Amino acid sequence: MKIRSKTPLKALACFSATLALSASMVTTSFASDWTPSRAVEYIAPANPGGGWDTLVRTTANVIRSENLSDVNYAAINVPGGGGAVAWAQIARDSRNDHKLFATSPPIILVPLAGTSRFNHTDFTPVARLITDYSIVLVREDSPYQSITDLFDAIGENPRVSIGGGSAAGSMDHISIAGAAAASGLNAASVNYIAFSGGGEAMTSLLGGHVDAVITGAGEASAQLQGGELRALGVSAPERIPGLDVPTYQEQGLDYTFDIWRGVMAPKDISEDALRYYEDLFARMMETDSWAEATERLGWLDAYQGSEEFGEFLDEQLEQFRAVLGDLGLLRN
Amino acid sequence: MESFTNLMYGFSIALDPINLMYVFIGVFAGTLIGMLPGLGPMSALALMIPITFNLNPATGLILMAGVYYGAIFGGSTSSILLNAPGVAGTVATSFDGYPMAQKGMAGKALAIAAYASFVGGTISIIGLMFIAPLLSKVAVSFGPAEYFALMVLGLTAVVSLSDKSLVKGLIAAIMGMMISIVGMDLQTGTERYTFGSIELLEGINFLVVALGIFALAEVFYMLLSGNKSTPKRNAIGSLKLSMAEVKDMAAPVGRSSVLGFFTGVLPGAGATIGSFLGYSMEKRLAKDGDTFGKGNIKGVAAPESANNAACGGSFVPLLTLGVPGSGTTAVLLGALLVMGVTPGPMMLEQRPDVFWGVIASMYIGNIFLLVLNLPLIPYIAKILDAPRPLLLSLILIFCMVGVYGLSFSSFDLVLLLAFGLIGLVMRLYGFPAAPMILGLILGALMEESMRRALQISGGDWSIFIDKPISLVLLIIAALSLGLPVVKKMIQKARA
Amino acid sequence: MTRLNINQILALVLVIFSVGYLWMAFQIPVFPIPRPIDSDAFPKILGICLLVLSVLLFFEKQPKTENASQQEDVEPVTESSVTGMQNPKVQVLGTAIAILAYAFLIEPLGFLLSSILLGVGLAYWFGYRQHGVNFATVGSIVLILYLLMSKVMGIYLPTGVLPF
Repeated sequence: MKIRSKTPLKALACFSATLALSASMVTTSFASDWTPSRAVEYIAPANPGGGWDTLVRTTANVIRSENLSDVNYAAINVPGGGGAVAWAQIARDSRNDHKLFATSPPIILVPLAGTSRFNHTDFTPVARLITDYSIVLVREDSPYQSITDLFDAIGENPRVSIGGGSAAGSMDHISIAGAAAASGLNAASVNYIAFSGGGEAMTSLLGGHVDAVITGAGEASAQLQGGELRALGVSAPERIPGLDVPTYQEQGLDYTFDIWRGVMAPKDISEDALRYYEDLFARMMETDSWAEATERLGWLDAYQGSEEFGEFLDEQLEQFRAVLGDLGLLRN
Repeated sequence: MESFTNLMYGFSIALDPINLMYVFIGVFAGTLIGMLPGLGPMSALALMIPITFNLNPATGLILMAGVYYGAIFGGSTSSILLNAPGVAGTVATSFDGYPMAQKGMAGKALAIAAYASFVGGTISIIGLMFIAPLLSKVAVSFGPAEYFALMVLGLTAVVSLSDKSLVKGLIAAIMGMMISIVGMDLQTGTERYTFGSIELLEGINFLVVALGIFALAEVFYMLLSGNKSTPKRNAIGSLKLSMAEVKDMAAPVGRSSVLGFFTGVLPGAGATIGSFLGYSMEKRLAKDGDTFGKGNIKGVAAPESANNAACGGSFVPLLTLGVPGSGTTAVLLGALLVMGVTPGPMMLEQRPDVFWGVIASMYIGNIFLLVLNLPLIPYIAKILDAPRPLLLSLILIFCMVGVYGLSFSSFDLVLLLAFGLIGLVMRLYGFPAAPMILGLILGALMEESMRRALQISGGDWSIFIDKPISLVLLIIAALSLGLPVVKKMIQKARA
Repeated sequence: MTRLNINQILALVLVIFSVGYLWMAFQIPVFPIPRPIDSDAFPKILGICLLVLSVLLFFEKQPKTENASQQEDVEPVTESSVTGMQNPKVQVLGTAIAILAYAFLIEPLGFLLSSILLGVGLAYWFGYRQHGVNFATVGSIVLILYLLMSKVMGIYLPTGVLPF
């Protein structure tokens, strides 16, 4: 029953993709002659449904429906250890030109916290694709009107609590602690309350159990429309289109925090393969299907090629290392 | 009255032939996925997101909601027949469902599960329809302190779940809690009891433990007990319920449905906790409470109505607040966002078609499930007619495939084996499995919410009694522990 | 009181386990930012509870009824008659080893092949002798599961030595 239900959809998708292709007559110009000779293993280091998985499946779908490659990009879930299980597997497979994986700040944070032996330098950056930003929310009736109000309050009363959807020492905590440090506070003075998901943190804020919540801007947009919550600031360098929230920088706080996502490959893949994938993702991001997908998912394009992405990762490492050091959580 | 008009509007959407077809596809696929041990609705829904890309949002949510409650509905089948819970929410169903099947009443157990699921599902839809916005206030009023009190109340059930030896029951519960805290501690990021293994960082998957302790241990146990003492199990028995049985179950089903629904409304609680609370409540209230665990029909009816009601309840925070209460509803939220619908306080005004369409479709889906499942029971239960060696081998395959499909990791297969052996030892020497599972479900949640509450209060313990809901729950917990003791003392004094 | 009963042996095992557990609880590092309750508190409480309970178990009186009821539904391995491969204890051990082998072979051999091998092999070993039915049942169930997961739901399963 289910098989039959899906096939027409697939056929329809293929059909429309063919139409789109013949209409635009995409001319493919490869940066090199190398092309994958078999299916590419495309790993999401987490269970189906999360951010990495969505990135892998969406990009694989766009590549297929736009006919950007002759081979299949097979989405493979390797969950466990916040990514560490997959990283350990991929690290054993250096020089494999037919393997890619989705990545984001945890590839830097998890090793720094000491729970993964491998970090971004053990892999080849291919491309940064998209980004999201942190946003700080309070209840509509909260006394705080700006991000500086909040940090002033924390300075006076260390019990002011800020909830987040991930463990202490991971993304949300680093983001808010870094902002607090930039405002002149001690990073460790943020009373960060870890919840097991952004949703739980937001429910707790709605009920007034915590004073503020830090989460991804994409995740918060529904709540902001509802009018029960209010945003104090967003960690983007400039305002996010369609989201009427001032940046930290506008409020005199020189701090940005990217929740970026990108693609990496095993260490020491061939130069030709790297160029091929770099180019593949660059072309993918110019397609209509990609534009449609990012629109739906609320992603902001933030492409960087391999070299630029690598430098960006090194900067991130320094930024995170500093914050974790302030928090006393640096274990590696 | 307004709800009625809205519901009529919802039915006008849900009865659209296309939507009707998708309800059917959804509940059918959901039942199948639910029946397979391990593979749950969450992965299934995540993998369906690309399909819903091309659908109208109301249709997409109708389909996905169907898979979700269909899976909870179908999960009872393998719990009853194979002692291998199909989804986490149906673990409690196996406590009495499997013994019933062993006694040759598989047909009746499956029928009761189907009816109870139907009633639980329907009651939750009625609740969803009339009091959803009101209930969203209840959901947000539960902060860390309240959750802690709720978990404490839940844990008092250990006493009623350990029938022979209280000490053994408590030991099992403590072991369950010990398993639940393995992994990275959320509040500090510290590793606990991982032995340096990255596979254990995210903790031990609940279903790996449940399948090991129940299904695998059962296979080992049957091997050990040899051919002679195997109960006659080839009789499926009649599906018919007597009037007396229906009367007997009416009150438990009603109570458990309401309890399950409220548990489902609370983010983070959900079907698993709901079904346990329903089961232990009925065990305590029943006059024949001591036959629970040995094939009491109320022991099937209570958790089945509670878990289906909880499934409906979990749509309250999702649709009215826009916050997911569980992994599964988080995936649903993601799918809705992809389809361009933002669930939340504004959804009723912005997309009434999605809101009311889904609610109406749930009525239809529940009827489909009942009509679909009842006639199939004799055929599905035929698996018990398989020759014993083949049946044992099939149960093993289902468990292994289920666990592998859960995490794609050989490590979890080894864990499954370890828990199977632990389960066998427990079974042989009279340690009850239910308290262990309860400790496993509630342990980590209790610790986390307690530490969260204390961190918010700055280490001040009075937060647990200053909050009225928390105080009431703790008093109920104390009473439910104290009353039986007082009763016993009175009995002793009289004797 | 010369011989320990089974509960007392189990109690001793649990005592050793809980001491080990407590020792590990004391190794849990302190979180650098002060917390009202740190990561080590809960494990310590659990360890102490288990220790106390296992001592209680050691001194718990064995109710006669429990023994009786165990006898009646367990009959663990009546020593005589069955020997060799059909001995229940050997069967449990063998099944455990087969599961371990499956865990390690699933990736190199592939999902389909290893699952069918495990299913058919165990059914045969448990004493099922209708090879055709055995192979057809296990084979079709594994194949359906495989198709459902890999083709319909798009979950990647290891293919191993087979091309699909």
